[in-house]
Amino acid sequence: MRSSVVAMVLGLVLAIGTPITWALTRPDATAGTTVEQAIDAPSPSAVPPSPAPSAAPSPSGAVPPTVPALDLPPVPIRDAAPTVAAPVPPPVRLSLPAQGVTAPLDAVGVSPDGQMELPEDVDRVGWYRFGPVPGDDGSAVLAGHVDDREQGLGALAPLRTTEVGDVVVVTGATGAETRWQVVSRELITKQVLPLDSIFNREGPPRLVLITCGGPFIPELRSYRDNVVVVAEPLP
Amino acid sequence: MTVHPNGRNVTVNKTRPIALTVGATGAFALLFAATPALADSHTATLSVLHAIPETPVDVYANGERLIDDFEPGTLAGPLTLPGGDYDLALYPADAEDASGEPLLQAMDVSVPAGANATVTAHLTEAGEPALTPFVNDTSAVPAGEGRLTVRHVAAAPAVDVRAGGEVIIDGLVNPNEESVTVPAGSVSADVVVAGTDTVAIGPADVTVAEGANTIVYAWGSADAGYELATQTVQAGASAPTGVPGGSAGLAADEGMPAPLVGLTVAGLAGAAFAGRKYATSRV
Repeated sequence: MRSSVVAMVLGLVLAIGTPITWALTRPDATAGTTVEQAIDAPSPSAVPPSPAPSAAPSPSGAVPPTVPALDLPPVPIRDAAPTVAAPVPPPVRLSLPAQGVTAPLDAVGVSPDGQMELPEDVDRVGWYRFGPVPGDDGSAVLAGHVDDREQGLGALAPLRTTEVGDVVVVTGATGAETRWQVVSRELITKQVLPLDSIFNREGPPRLVLITCGGPFIPELRSYRDNVVVVAEPLP
Repeated sequence: MTVHPNGRNVTVNKTRPIALTVGATGAFALLFAATPALADSHTATLSVLHAIPETPVDVYANGERLIDDFEPGTLAGPLTLPGGDYDLALYPADAEDASGEPLLQAMDVSVPAGANATVTAHLTEAGEPALTPFVNDTSAVPAGEGRLTVRHVAAAPAVDVRAGGEVIIDGLVNPNEESVTVPAGSVSADVVVAGTDTVAIGPADVTVAEGANTIVYAWGSADAGYELATQTVQAGASAPTGVPGGSAGLAADEGMPAPLVGLTVAGLAGAAFAGRKYATSRV
Protein backbone atom coordinates (compact mmCIF):
# COMPACT_ATOMS: atom_id res chain seq x y z
CA MET A 1 0.00 0.00 0.00
CA ARG A 2 2.78 2.34 0.97
CA SER A 3 4.74 1.43 -2.14
CA SER A 4 1.81 2.36 -4.35
CA VAL A 5 1.70 5.84 -2.75
CA VAL A 6 5.39 6.27 -3.43
CA ALA A 7 4.91 5.09 -7.02
CA MET A 8 2.03 7.53 -7.47
CA VAL A 9 4.07 10.46 -6.16
CA LEU A 10 7.05 9.51 -8.32
CA GLY A 11 4.80 9.24 -11.36
CA LEU A 12 3.33 12.70 -10.74
CA VAL A 13 6.77 14.22 -10.17
CA LEU A 14 7.88 12.75 -13.50
CA ALA A 15 4.75 13.97 -15.30
CA ILE A 16 5.00 17.52 -13.98
CA GLY A 17 8.77 17.86 -13.68
CA THR A 18 9.64 16.85 -17.24
CA PRO A 19 7.82 19.67 -19.06
CA ILE A 20 8.87 22.26 -16.45
CA THR A 21 12.54 21.28 -16.71
CA TRP A 22 12.32 21.35 -20.50
CA ALA A 23 10.72 24.81 -20.49
CA LEU A 24 13.29 26.20 -18.04
CA THR A 25 16.31 24.92 -19.95
CA ARG A 26 15.25 26.37 -23.35
CA PRO A 27 17.20 29.32 -24.70
CA ASP A 28 15.53 32.65 -23.96
CA ALA A 29 13.37 34.09 -26.71
CA THR A 30 14.44 37.59 -25.76
CA ALA A 31 17.63 39.29 -24.61
CA GLY A 32 18.26 42.85 -23.48
CA THR A 33 15.65 45.60 -23.59
CA THR A 34 12.57 45.47 -25.79
CA VAL A 35 12.92 46.39 -29.43
CA GLU A 36 10.81 49.54 -29.12
CA GLN A 37 12.81 50.81 -26.14
CA ALA A 38 16.08 50.03 -27.90
CA ILE A 39 15.07 51.97 -31.01
CA ASP A 40 13.67 55.00 -29.24
CA ALA A 41 16.29 55.33 -26.48
CA PRO A 42 19.07 57.85 -27.12
CA SER A 43 22.50 56.33 -27.78
CA PRO A 44 24.91 56.46 -24.85
CA SER A 45 27.47 57.79 -27.28
CA ALA A 46 25.07 60.23 -28.86
CA VAL A 47 26.03 63.87 -28.73
CA PRO A 48 23.15 65.97 -27.42
CA PRO A 49 21.64 67.74 -30.41
CA SER A 50 22.70 71.33 -30.70
CA PRO A 51 19.79 73.68 -30.23
CA ALA A 52 18.11 74.30 -33.53
CA PRO A 53 18.38 77.83 -34.84
CA SER A 54 15.14 79.11 -33.43
CA ALA A 55 12.93 81.44 -35.32
CA ALA A 56 13.41 84.94 -34.09
CA PRO A 57 11.09 85.32 -31.12
CA SER A 58 8.74 88.20 -31.49
CA PRO A 59 8.35 90.40 -28.44
CA SER A 60 5.03 89.48 -26.92
CA GLY A 61 2.31 92.01 -27.42
CA ALA A 62 4.36 94.12 -29.81
CA VAL A 63 3.01 92.45 -32.94
CA PRO A 64 -0.52 92.97 -34.19
CA PRO A 65 -2.03 89.48 -34.51
CA THR A 66 -3.19 89.86 -38.10
CA VAL A 67 0.08 91.18 -39.53
CA PRO A 68 3.00 89.13 -38.20
CA ALA A 69 6.41 90.79 -38.32
CA LEU A 70 8.62 89.39 -41.05
CA ASP A 71 11.90 89.06 -39.21
CA LEU A 72 13.11 86.27 -41.46
CA PRO A 73 16.45 84.76 -42.46
CA PRO A 74 17.39 85.06 -46.17
CA VAL A 75 15.02 83.07 -48.35
CA PRO A 76 16.63 80.04 -50.01
CA ILE A 77 16.14 80.22 -53.78
CA ARG A 78 16.94 77.50 -56.29
CA ASP A 79 16.48 76.69 -59.94
CA ALA A 80 13.24 74.72 -60.24
CA ALA A 81 14.18 72.79 -63.39
CA PRO A 82 13.73 69.01 -62.96
CA THR A 83 16.78 67.18 -61.64
CA VAL A 84 17.42 63.48 -61.13
CA ALA A 85 18.64 62.82 -57.61
CA ALA A 86 21.90 60.87 -57.37
CA PRO A 87 21.15 57.46 -55.83
CA VAL A 88 22.48 56.85 -52.32
CA PRO A 89 25.38 54.34 -52.39
CA PRO A 90 24.02 51.19 -50.69
CA PRO A 91 25.88 49.21 -47.98
CA VAL A 92 27.45 46.00 -49.31
CA ARG A 93 28.17 43.54 -46.49
CA LEU A 94 26.92 42.47 -43.07
CA SER A 95 28.95 40.53 -40.56
CA LEU A 96 28.19 39.25 -37.05
CA PRO A 97 31.45 37.55 -36.02
CA ALA A 98 30.15 36.13 -32.72
CA GLN A 99 27.51 34.12 -34.59
CA GLY A 100 29.64 33.32 -37.64
CA VAL A 101 27.34 35.37 -39.89
CA THR A 102 28.69 37.11 -42.96
CA ALA A 103 26.46 37.99 -45.89
CA PRO A 104 26.40 40.30 -48.92
CA LEU A 105 23.69 42.98 -48.88
CA ASP A 106 21.19 43.81 -51.63
CA ALA A 107 19.22 47.08 -51.76
CA VAL A 108 15.54 46.10 -51.60
CA GLY A 109 12.21 47.91 -51.52
CA VAL A 110 8.61 46.85 -51.07
CA SER A 111 6.91 43.73 -52.48
CA PRO A 112 3.59 44.01 -54.34
CA ASP A 113 1.85 42.70 -51.18
CA GLY A 114 3.20 45.69 -49.21
CA GLN A 115 5.73 43.72 -47.16
CA MET A 116 9.46 44.45 -47.17
CA GLU A 117 11.11 42.79 -50.16
CA LEU A 118 13.82 40.18 -49.36
CA PRO A 119 16.52 38.69 -51.61
CA GLU A 120 15.44 35.31 -53.07
CA ASP A 121 18.86 33.90 -52.24
CA VAL A 122 18.81 32.98 -48.52
CA ASP A 123 22.58 33.58 -48.33
CA ARG A 124 22.00 37.28 -49.06
CA VAL A 125 20.44 39.91 -46.83
CA GLY A 126 18.27 42.86 -47.91
CA TRP A 127 18.84 46.48 -46.93
CA TYR A 128 15.61 48.56 -46.97
CA ARG A 129 16.57 51.26 -49.44
CA PHE A 130 13.76 53.70 -48.56
CA GLY A 131 15.10 53.93 -45.00
CA PRO A 132 18.46 55.34 -43.88
CA VAL A 133 21.88 53.99 -44.78
CA PRO A 134 23.37 52.31 -41.65
CA GLY A 135 24.92 55.12 -39.61
CA ASP A 136 22.55 57.85 -40.73
CA ASP A 137 19.78 59.09 -38.45
CA GLY A 138 16.91 56.66 -38.04
CA SER A 139 16.56 52.94 -38.15
CA ALA A 140 18.47 51.09 -40.91
CA VAL A 141 16.74 47.76 -41.54
CA LEU A 142 18.52 44.61 -42.74
CA ALA A 143 16.40 41.48 -43.20
CA GLY A 144 16.73 38.06 -44.75
CA HIS A 145 14.97 34.70 -45.08
CA VAL A 146 15.71 32.34 -42.20
CA ASP A 147 15.41 29.34 -44.54
CA ASP A 148 14.00 28.06 -47.81
CA ARG A 149 12.63 24.64 -48.71
CA GLU A 150 15.14 24.19 -51.52
CA GLN A 151 18.09 26.27 -50.30
CA GLY A 152 18.10 25.23 -46.65
CA LEU A 153 19.03 27.52 -43.77
CA GLY A 154 19.62 31.21 -44.52
CA ALA A 155 22.45 33.53 -43.54
CA LEU A 156 20.43 35.05 -40.70
CA ALA A 157 19.39 31.73 -39.08
CA PRO A 158 21.84 32.28 -36.14
CA LEU A 159 20.12 35.59 -35.31
CA ARG A 160 17.88 33.80 -32.79
CA THR A 161 20.85 33.08 -30.54
CA THR A 162 22.46 36.54 -30.76
CA GLU A 163 23.45 37.88 -27.35
CA VAL A 164 23.46 41.42 -25.98
CA GLY A 165 26.94 42.87 -26.56
CA ASP A 166 27.59 40.97 -29.80
CA VAL A 167 29.32 43.19 -32.36
CA VAL A 168 27.81 43.76 -35.81
CA VAL A 169 29.84 45.23 -38.68
CA VAL A 170 28.32 46.76 -41.82
CA THR A 171 30.54 47.60 -44.77
CA GLY A 172 29.45 50.62 -46.80
CA ALA A 173 29.75 51.20 -50.53
CA THR A 174 33.09 52.93 -50.13
CA GLY A 175 34.52 50.15 -47.96
CA ALA A 176 34.09 52.18 -44.78
CA GLU A 177 32.76 50.12 -41.87
CA THR A 178 30.17 51.01 -39.27
CA ARG A 179 30.37 49.02 -36.01
CA TRP A 180 27.39 48.25 -33.82
CA GLN A 181 26.64 46.54 -30.51
CA VAL A 182 23.53 44.43 -29.94
CA VAL A 183 21.25 45.85 -27.21
CA SER A 184 18.08 43.87 -27.78
CA ARG A 185 16.79 40.61 -29.23
CA GLU A 186 13.11 39.86 -29.22
CA LEU A 187 10.76 37.26 -30.70
CA ILE A 188 7.63 39.18 -31.78
CA THR A 189 4.44 37.77 -33.29
CA LYS A 190 4.22 39.10 -36.85
CA GLN A 191 0.77 40.64 -36.33
CA VAL A 192 2.05 42.93 -33.57
CA LEU A 193 5.47 43.80 -34.99
CA PRO A 194 6.10 47.52 -34.14
CA LEU A 195 6.62 48.47 -37.80
CA ASP A 196 6.55 52.22 -37.26
CA SER A 197 9.38 51.98 -34.72
CA ILE A 198 11.38 49.46 -36.73
CA PHE A 199 11.16 51.51 -39.94
CA ASN A 200 11.41 54.91 -38.21
CA ARG A 201 13.44 57.30 -40.37
CA GLU A 202 14.10 59.75 -37.58
CA GLY A 203 15.77 59.54 -34.20
CA PRO A 204 19.23 58.27 -33.28
CA PRO A 205 21.05 55.86 -35.65
CA ARG A 206 20.02 52.23 -35.11
CA LEU A 207 20.70 48.98 -36.93
CA VAL A 208 17.77 46.55 -36.97
CA LEU A 209 18.27 42.95 -38.12
CA ILE A 210 15.14 40.89 -38.86
CA THR A 211 14.42 37.32 -39.85
CA CYS A 212 11.72 34.77 -39.06
CA GLY A 213 11.42 32.61 -35.98
CA GLY A 214 9.16 30.98 -33.45
CA PRO A 215 6.98 28.02 -34.34
CA PHE A 216 6.48 27.09 -37.99
CA ILE A 217 2.89 27.03 -39.23
CA PRO A 218 2.87 24.46 -42.08
CA GLU A 219 -0.57 25.50 -43.42
CA LEU A 220 0.69 29.05 -43.99
CA ARG A 221 4.20 27.87 -44.98
CA SER A 222 5.34 30.57 -42.63
CA TYR A 223 6.74 31.22 -39.20
CA ARG A 224 4.57 32.76 -36.51
CA ASP A 225 7.11 35.33 -35.33
CA ASN A 226 9.90 37.66 -36.37
CA VAL A 227 13.28 37.62 -34.65
CA VAL A 228 14.23 41.31 -34.23
CA VAL A 229 17.71 42.37 -33.13
CA VAL A 230 18.51 46.03 -32.42
CA ALA A 231 22.08 47.35 -32.29
CA GLU A 232 23.44 50.76 -31.26
CA PRO A 233 26.46 52.41 -32.87
CA LEU A 234 29.84 51.75 -31.28
CA PRO A 235 32.06 54.81 -31.00
CA MET B 1 -8.30 54.98 -62.02
CA THR B 2 -5.71 54.12 -64.58
CA VAL B 3 -2.94 51.56 -64.64
CA HIS B 4 0.73 52.37 -64.41
CA PRO B 5 3.03 50.77 -67.00
CA ASN B 6 4.43 48.35 -64.45
CA GLY B 7 0.98 47.01 -63.67
CA ARG B 8 0.45 48.50 -60.22
CA ASN B 9 -2.62 50.56 -59.65
CA VAL B 10 -2.40 54.29 -59.70
CA THR B 11 -4.74 56.37 -57.62
CA VAL B 12 -5.86 59.65 -59.13
CA ASN B 13 -7.14 62.61 -57.17
CA LYS B 14 -8.55 65.57 -59.03
CA THR B 15 -8.43 68.80 -57.09
CA ARG B 16 -8.78 72.44 -57.88
CA PRO B 17 -6.79 75.26 -56.34
CA ILE B 18 -8.49 76.35 -53.19
CA ALA B 19 -8.73 80.02 -54.03
CA LEU B 20 -9.33 81.72 -57.31
CA THR B 21 -6.68 83.21 -59.50
CA VAL B 22 -6.43 86.95 -58.96
CA GLY B 23 -5.71 89.79 -61.30
CA ALA B 24 -3.46 92.78 -60.89
CA THR B 25 -5.24 94.36 -57.95
CA GLY B 26 -7.49 91.60 -56.76
CA ALA B 27 -7.76 90.45 -53.19
CA PHE B 28 -8.24 86.91 -52.04
CA ALA B 29 -8.11 84.67 -49.04
CA LEU B 30 -6.29 81.37 -49.02
CA LEU B 31 -8.60 78.77 -47.59
CA PHE B 32 -6.79 75.73 -46.26
CA ALA B 33 -9.85 73.74 -45.37
CA ALA B 34 -8.34 70.45 -46.47
CA THR B 35 -4.93 70.89 -44.91
CA PRO B 36 -4.11 68.28 -42.25
CA ALA B 37 -2.79 69.65 -39.00
CA LEU B 38 0.98 69.42 -38.89
CA ALA B 39 3.36 68.98 -35.99
CA ASP B 40 4.01 72.65 -35.43
CA SER B 41 0.86 74.44 -34.44
CA HIS B 42 2.16 78.01 -34.80
CA THR B 43 3.91 78.20 -38.14
CA ALA B 44 3.06 77.65 -41.77
CA THR B 45 5.36 76.46 -44.55
CA LEU B 46 5.29 78.59 -47.67
CA SER B 47 7.14 78.38 -50.97
CA VAL B 48 6.96 80.77 -53.89
CA LEU B 49 7.39 79.71 -57.51
CA HIS B 50 8.07 82.27 -60.20
CA ALA B 51 6.55 81.00 -63.44
CA ILE B 52 5.96 84.19 -65.46
CA PRO B 53 8.45 84.06 -68.35
CA GLU B 54 10.98 86.86 -68.92
CA THR B 55 9.88 88.98 -65.94
CA PRO B 56 12.26 89.20 -62.97
CA VAL B 57 10.44 90.59 -59.93
CA ASP B 58 10.86 91.59 -56.29
CA VAL B 59 8.42 89.99 -53.87
CA TYR B 60 7.08 92.02 -50.95
CA ALA B 61 5.18 90.69 -47.96
CA ASN B 62 3.47 93.19 -45.63
CA GLY B 63 5.44 95.96 -47.34
CA GLU B 64 8.84 94.37 -46.68
CA ARG B 65 10.99 92.94 -49.43
CA LEU B 66 10.94 89.17 -49.04
CA ILE B 67 12.73 88.09 -52.25
CA ASP B 68 15.02 90.32 -54.32
CA ASP B 69 15.52 89.83 -58.08
CA PHE B 70 13.36 86.72 -58.26
CA GLU B 71 14.06 85.07 -61.62
CA PRO B 72 11.50 83.12 -63.67
CA GLY B 73 11.92 79.35 -63.25
CA THR B 74 13.15 79.58 -59.69
CA LEU B 75 11.58 78.44 -56.45
CA ALA B 76 11.92 80.31 -53.16
CA GLY B 77 11.50 78.51 -49.88
CA PRO B 78 10.39 76.64 -48.00
CA LEU B 79 9.81 79.57 -45.66
CA THR B 80 8.59 78.97 -42.14
CA LEU B 81 6.20 81.80 -41.38
CA PRO B 82 4.09 82.54 -38.35
CA GLY B 83 0.49 81.79 -39.23
CA GLY B 84 -1.52 84.90 -40.09
CA ASP B 85 -2.64 87.19 -42.88
CA TYR B 86 -0.12 88.54 -45.38
CA ASP B 87 -0.25 91.19 -48.08
CA LEU B 88 1.77 89.94 -51.04
CA ALA B 89 2.93 92.10 -53.92
CA LEU B 90 5.18 91.63 -56.93
CA TYR B 91 7.10 94.59 -58.35
CA PRO B 92 9.41 94.76 -61.35
CA ALA B 93 12.91 93.76 -60.21
CA ASP B 94 14.28 97.21 -61.04
CA ALA B 95 11.75 99.02 -58.80
CA GLU B 96 13.32 100.97 -55.97
CA ASP B 97 10.79 99.99 -53.34
CA ALA B 98 7.14 99.05 -52.87
CA SER B 99 5.82 102.58 -53.48
CA GLY B 100 4.86 102.34 -57.15
CA GLU B 101 2.26 100.33 -58.98
CA PRO B 102 2.69 96.60 -58.34
CA LEU B 103 2.73 94.07 -61.16
CA LEU B 104 0.54 91.79 -59.12
CA GLN B 105 -0.77 91.92 -55.61
CA ALA B 106 -2.93 90.00 -53.20
CA MET B 107 -4.16 91.50 -49.93
CA ASP B 108 -4.88 89.63 -46.71
CA VAL B 109 -3.68 86.24 -47.87
CA SER B 110 -4.59 84.01 -44.95
CA VAL B 111 -1.78 81.55 -44.18
CA PRO B 112 -3.04 79.48 -41.24
CA ALA B 113 -0.64 77.72 -38.89
CA GLY B 114 0.11 74.17 -39.98
CA ALA B 115 -0.47 74.85 -43.67
CA ASN B 116 2.01 73.87 -46.39
CA ALA B 117 1.42 75.86 -49.54
CA THR B 118 3.09 77.14 -52.68
CA VAL B 119 2.11 80.52 -54.07
CA THR B 120 2.69 80.52 -57.81
CA ALA B 121 3.14 83.62 -59.94
CA HIS B 122 2.22 82.51 -63.43
CA LEU B 123 0.25 83.20 -66.60
CA THR B 124 -3.38 82.29 -67.10
CA GLU B 125 -4.49 80.33 -70.14
CA ALA B 126 -5.08 83.69 -71.85
CA GLY B 127 -1.56 84.90 -70.94
CA GLU B 128 -2.47 87.31 -68.09
CA PRO B 129 -0.21 87.33 -65.01
CA ALA B 130 -1.81 85.81 -61.91
CA LEU B 131 -1.02 84.62 -58.39
CA THR B 132 -2.40 81.21 -57.51
CA PRO B 133 -1.96 79.53 -54.13
CA PHE B 134 -1.80 75.74 -54.07
CA VAL B 135 -2.06 73.62 -50.92
CA ASN B 136 0.62 70.91 -50.95
CA ASP B 137 -0.76 67.49 -50.06
CA THR B 138 1.45 66.07 -47.29
CA SER B 139 -0.77 63.12 -46.36
CA ALA B 140 0.87 59.71 -46.05
CA VAL B 141 1.57 57.51 -49.07
CA PRO B 142 2.08 53.71 -48.95
CA ALA B 143 5.61 52.37 -48.42
CA GLY B 144 7.63 52.32 -51.63
CA GLU B 145 5.44 54.90 -53.34
CA GLY B 146 5.46 58.62 -53.93
CA ARG B 147 2.84 61.19 -54.84
CA LEU B 148 3.24 62.95 -58.19
CA THR B 149 1.29 66.20 -58.47
CA VAL B 150 1.07 68.11 -61.75
CA ARG B 151 0.02 71.79 -61.85
CA HIS B 152 -0.91 73.50 -65.10
CA VAL B 153 0.26 77.12 -64.82
CA ALA B 154 1.19 77.77 -68.47
CA ALA B 155 -0.51 80.06 -70.99
CA ALA B 156 -1.86 77.04 -72.84
CA PRO B 157 -5.08 75.05 -73.24
CA ALA B 158 -5.79 71.63 -71.66
CA VAL B 159 -2.96 69.11 -71.57
CA ASP B 160 -2.34 65.42 -70.86
CA VAL B 161 0.65 64.28 -68.83
CA ARG B 162 2.43 61.07 -69.84
CA ALA B 163 4.92 58.94 -67.92
CA GLY B 164 6.86 56.37 -69.92
CA GLY B 165 4.56 57.09 -72.88
CA GLU B 166 1.34 56.29 -70.98
CA VAL B 167 -1.17 59.02 -70.13
CA ILE B 168 -1.36 59.28 -66.32
CA ILE B 169 -3.25 62.59 -66.11
CA ASP B 170 -5.63 63.78 -68.80
CA GLY B 171 -7.43 66.99 -69.59
CA LEU B 172 -5.65 69.20 -67.05
CA VAL B 173 -6.47 72.91 -67.49
CA ASN B 174 -4.86 76.09 -66.11
CA PRO B 175 -4.77 76.67 -63.08
CA ASN B 176 -5.74 73.19 -61.85
CA GLU B 177 -3.69 70.37 -60.38
CA GLU B 178 -3.98 66.62 -60.24
CA SER B 179 -2.18 63.99 -58.15
CA VAL B 180 -1.35 60.34 -58.69
CA THR B 181 0.39 57.88 -56.39
CA VAL B 182 3.06 55.90 -58.21
CA PRO B 183 5.96 53.58 -57.29
CA ALA B 184 8.97 55.68 -56.29
CA GLY B 185 11.71 56.09 -58.87
CA SER B 186 12.57 57.98 -62.03
CA VAL B 187 9.96 58.46 -64.72
CA SER B 188 10.36 59.97 -68.17
CA ALA B 189 7.53 62.49 -68.27
CA ASP B 190 6.19 64.69 -71.03
CA VAL B 191 3.25 67.00 -71.51
CA VAL B 192 1.11 66.78 -74.66
CA VAL B 193 -1.79 68.80 -76.01
CA ALA B 194 -4.87 67.08 -74.54
CA GLY B 195 -6.04 64.11 -76.57
CA THR B 196 -3.12 64.26 -79.02
CA ASP B 197 0.48 63.06 -79.34
CA THR B 198 1.73 66.61 -79.91
CA VAL B 199 4.46 67.06 -77.32
CA ALA B 200 4.40 70.50 -75.68
CA ILE B 201 7.06 69.96 -73.00
CA GLY B 202 9.73 67.31 -72.49
CA PRO B 203 10.32 64.50 -72.19
CA ALA B 204 12.21 65.09 -68.95
CA ASP B 205 13.35 62.65 -66.27
CA VAL B 206 11.51 63.31 -63.03
CA THR B 207 12.43 61.54 -59.79
CA VAL B 208 9.35 60.63 -57.75
CA ALA B 209 10.74 60.46 -54.22
CA GLU B 210 9.44 57.80 -51.83
CA GLY B 211 7.28 59.12 -49.01
CA ALA B 212 7.12 62.58 -50.60
CA ASN B 213 4.99 64.71 -52.87
CA THR B 214 6.90 65.54 -56.06
CA ILE B 215 5.19 68.53 -57.65
CA VAL B 216 5.70 69.28 -61.33
CA TYR B 217 4.65 72.63 -62.79
CA ALA B 218 4.05 73.05 -66.51
CA TRP B 219 4.70 76.74 -67.15
CA GLY B 220 5.61 79.27 -69.82
CA SER B 221 3.97 80.64 -72.94
CA ALA B 222 3.98 79.99 -76.66
CA ASP B 223 6.30 82.99 -77.22
CA ALA B 224 8.76 82.27 -74.39
CA GLY B 225 8.56 78.49 -74.63
CA TYR B 226 7.15 75.93 -72.24
CA GLU B 227 9.11 74.33 -69.41
CA LEU B 228 8.80 72.13 -66.34
CA ALA B 229 9.58 73.16 -62.78
CA THR B 230 9.69 70.76 -59.84
CA GLN B 231 9.30 70.95 -56.10
CA THR B 232 9.50 68.13 -53.53
CA VAL B 233 7.53 68.30 -50.29
CA GLN B 234 7.88 65.64 -47.60
CA ALA B 235 4.70 63.63 -47.17
CA GLY B 236 4.07 61.08 -44.46
CA ALA B 237 6.25 58.05 -45.20
CA SER B 238 4.82 54.64 -44.35
CA ALA B 239 6.45 51.45 -43.10
CA PRO B 240 6.07 48.19 -45.06
CA THR B 241 3.23 46.01 -43.79
CA GLY B 242 5.54 43.28 -42.52
CA VAL B 243 8.72 41.29 -43.00
CA PRO B 244 8.44 37.79 -44.51
CA GLY B 245 11.29 35.46 -43.83
CA GLY B 246 11.19 31.69 -44.27
CA SER B 247 9.26 28.87 -45.83
CA ALA B 248 10.78 25.56 -44.65
CA GLY B 249 10.47 25.42 -40.88
CA LEU B 250 14.11 24.38 -40.50
CA ALA B 251 14.77 27.01 -37.83
CA ALA B 252 11.43 26.59 -36.05
CA ASP B 253 11.03 26.53 -32.30
CA GLU B 254 9.73 22.96 -31.92
CA GLY B 255 7.38 21.80 -29.22
CA MET B 256 8.72 19.42 -26.52
CA PRO B 257 10.80 16.60 -28.07
CA ALA B 258 9.03 13.18 -28.37
CA PRO B 259 11.17 11.34 -25.73
CA LEU B 260 10.27 13.98 -23.14
CA VAL B 261 6.61 13.79 -24.09
CA GLY B 262 6.90 9.99 -23.64
CA LEU B 263 8.46 10.44 -20.20
CA THR B 264 5.63 12.75 -19.14
CA VAL B 265 2.98 10.32 -20.36
CA ALA B 266 4.77 7.41 -18.63
CA GLY B 267 4.83 9.37 -15.37
CA LEU B 268 1.08 10.11 -15.62
CA ALA B 269 0.30 6.47 -16.45
CA GLY B 270 2.46 5.22 -13.56
CA ALA B 271 0.76 7.61 -11.15
CA ALA B 272 -2.68 6.57 -12.35
CA PHE B 273 -1.82 2.87 -12.07
CA ALA B 274 -0.36 3.28 -8.57
CA GLY B 275 -3.32 5.40 -7.50
CA ARG B 276 -5.78 2.81 -8.65
CA LYS B 277 -3.83 0.07 -6.91
CA TYR B 278 -3.84 2.18 -3.73
CA ALA B 279 -7.57 2.75 -4.01
CA THR B 280 -8.39 -0.94 -4.52
CA SER B 281 -6.11 -1.98 -1.65
CA ARG B 282 -8.12 0.22 0.73
CA VAL B 283 -11.47 -1.43 -0.07
